[in-house]
Amino acid sequence: MTELLINLTSKKTPTNKQFSLAINQRIENKGITGIFGPSGSGKTTLLRAIAGLEQHLQGEINFNGKTLLNTNNKIFIKAEQRNIGLVFQNSRLFPHLSVYENLIYAQKRSKKSTLNIDKIIVLTELKNLIHKQSQQLSSGEQQRVALARAILAEPQLLLLDEPLSALDQRNKGKMLTLLIKIQQQLNIPMLYVSHSLAELQQSADRLLVLAHGKVIDYGNIHQVIHRLNEQPTDINIHQQTSLALVVKQHDKTHGLTELQLNDQHSLYMPLLNAQQYKQGNSLRCFIFASDISITLQEPFNSSIVNHLKGKITQVSMSTNKQAVLLAINCVQHTFYSQISLMSYKKLNLTQGLKVFIQFKASAIKTLTNSTTQNHIITEENGC
Amino acid sequence: MLISYLRLFLLTFFTLILSSINSTQAAQPLRIAVSSNFAPVLKQLLPEFNQQTGVATQIISGVTGGLYQQIKYGAPYDVFLAADSLRPQKLAQENLIIPHSRKTYAFGQLALYSAKNPKLSWHNLKNITDNKSKRLAIANPKTAPYGKAAQQCLIKQGLWEQLKNHLIIGNNIGQTFQQVRSQAVTMGIVAYSQLKLNKLTGSLLPKNCYSPIKQQLVILKNTSQLEKSQQFSNFLLSSKIQQKIAQFGYLTKANTDD
Amino acid sequence: MIDADLMALFTTLKMATISTIILLLLGTPLAWWLANMQSKVKVIFEAIVALPIILPPTVLGFYLLIAFAPQSTLGQLWLQLTGSPLAFSFSAIVIGSVLYSLPFVVQPLQRAFEQLGDHYLEAATMLGAKPLDRFFSIVLPMTKASFITAASLGFAHTVGEFGIVLMIGGNIPDQTRVLSIAIFDHVEAFEYAQAQALSLSLLLASFVLLTLVYLLNYKKVSR
Repeated sequence: MTELLINLTSKKTPTNKQFSLAINQRIENKGITGIFGPSGSGKTTLLRAIAGLEQHLQGEINFNGKTLLNTNNKIFIKAEQRNIGLVFQNSRLFPHLSVYENLIYAQKRSKKSTLNIDKIIVLTELKNLIHKQSQQLSSGEQQRVALARAILAEPQLLLLDEPLSALDQRNKGKMLTLLIKIQQQLNIPMLYVSHSLAELQQSADRLLVLAHGKVIDYGNIHQVIHRLNEQPTDINIHQQTSLALVVKQHDKTHGLTELQLNDQHSLYMPLLNAQQYKQGNSLRCFIFASDISITLQEPFNSSIVNHLKGKITQVSMSTNKQAVLLAINCVQHTFYSQISLMSYKKLNLTQGLKVFIQFKASAIKTLTNSTTQNHIITEENGC
Repeated sequence: MLISYLRLFLLTFFTLILSSINSTQAAQPLRIAVSSNFAPVLKQLLPEFNQQTGVATQIISGVTGGLYQQIKYGAPYDVFLAADSLRPQKLAQENLIIPHSRKTYAFGQLALYSAKNPKLSWHNLKNITDNKSKRLAIANPKTAPYGKAAQQCLIKQGLWEQLKNHLIIGNNIGQTFQQVRSQAVTMGIVAYSQLKLNKLTGSLLPKNCYSPIKQQLVILKNTSQLEKSQQFSNFLLSSKIQQKIAQFGYLTKANTDD
Repeated sequence: MIDADLMALFTTLKMATISTIILLLLGTPLAWWLANMQSKVKVIFEAIVALPIILPPTVLGFYLLIAFAPQSTLGQLWLQLTGSPLAFSFSAIVIGSVLYSLPFVVQPLQRAFEQLGDHYLEAATMLGAKPLDRFFSIVLPMTKASFITAASLGFAHTVGEFGIVLMIGGNIPDQTRVLSIAIFDHVEAFEYAQAQALSLSLLLASFVLLTLVYLLNYKKVSR
């Protein structure tokens, strides 16, 4: 029973009128589960409730068959007894202790103590930092120490609350890669809260979407992202095609990396670092809907390297009626293309029509090579 | 962790209690609570008593009113030398003294004193106080026996109404003396004994202008050393010591008229 | 300095040391409780703790005298427990000093705890540290400077205490006569030279103590 059962509502207090939480969800306790939503959607509150740091909630939390919270039966397992780890947004390293002492602090209090501290130091690339004080570290380094510290407590579940938000773009990619590596090597289930869809698209196996304290969607990461494309009601994301593809080969002579779509079809993207992205490994990538265009004839002699034949499965109008989103099924994958209303009318596109989609190699992105941030579109950071 | 904290707390607590137990087991000296105006005199008299009787003594000096309060709430004194007769009387009424132990050991005398002008005389006080800028210090007539006596004399002399808003009132006669001696106030009515003790000269006020300042002693009911207390009382009232007290500027039974 | 004065010095140091230990043991949980109190009732408790700053020592002393007297319930209880009266004992002046110096210990600690917040404590909790473990491994080392300040303020304030100790201690040589009272006695008896010598030593000792405290704090801050 590796699952997390959550049934929570926020207590109505005089000071807490506007914000309400009502979540009833079963979450698989395996791999990485992303929790996504705009700020104020209740992501952090949910995470803190699972951690045992939030007291103003009613209901039940059940973890791997063990009751952590049941307000009806007055059960509340204290945070320190839940064996759940938490990496905070701001690393919260103890300033009176060195990096090494911070790690020892966690290890000493671990109930299992099966992890070797030196191995974790190597794994999290902290070897050169262990004798420094936490104030001397960059924010990226601090967050790595915080991660290592949380791991050394050997939790059954690791919660991550916006762990990358304080880092710059380059460090974000590095940290995310590390996070995924650790998850795979140590097999710690993680709940990863972020307002950045790109981070979650790159790392999570499943996605839980929250808005206004309620669950909007939960399921496989790609499927949930695609559903978010089609129902831009509460959350406006950058509409995209989310993929996990096997790296077939790195073609240095042409400066491209080939990704396998199926036995016959491949996609090409700008050359990746062969050391980091090994042949045969799966690669998470995304293509913005605005980067995919439609032709009725098969493109010939085009600089655009990727094109696929498919069938329009769905047509939806954007809320402002200026653009059209098409879902096109090509080689058992659904791709999303956003085109102007003019093109839509000119090409006379309808559901069921056979078309070709085409996009440049550079339209295929991962977090590490994308310059465009992939998160909720708001006024400040709209595209 | 919590247990070790509690242990530390209890340990300190019990050490405190134990230390208070131990302290009572030692042989106690005779504790004499004495009004601060008589304390310096007593200090000079005590060596003789200690030698004569072999009784060890401790002096606790303070304001008569304060000492009275403490005795009321169980202060562990044996003998109390007050600067008045009021407090000993009260203690007798409150049944806090050994019956019939209340004795007058000295009568206080008033003197006019000015540090700048030692030749100042009580009889020409009137002329001087016409000058409004000059202020007169006295002890609080409401609480200090020396202050009450000073008030009586000023009334008799017909100066009270004129002076009453220009007086510097000290808490007790000790404070008044300090105010005058330090020249903070040009002149004041102080205890004659204070002048004697400090080898200063002033002008004695006529005995008949104030009712006698009886300084009384009592043996406290709580005493565990009744015999020694009695010895001390007898010592203080002996004619030899009474003579010595007189030399310090007090009146005694032998040299009073009543 | 004469023997009696040395005795007073010893009594003072003993009183101040024991009081400071009790103040820390008592003031720390109290300050913690106040710092973490959410309810508005907090201000009432804060006011109560701060009362000794405003109350004249003689007033507090008088109430304590009534409470400690053998006639009172507390006095009775103490008498039965220890076999000696509480009022005018060394224990009495320690208890009096603790009450009187309480705000000087509680306030800096409370402020330090409030400033510390719960960020680091939450982090420690998530690593499995229990409340007392958190206190000793996080709170104590991170607020060390405030503990030093609180302890030295408590100590210094106890050394300088006069009114309460005089009232409930009774100025008994070798038991409750402390330095401040000895100085007062000397002044009362016109023994100005001795009073000055004692005052000067008290002044110097306090000055050295406080300088050391501020030096320690300064080092801590500038590091």
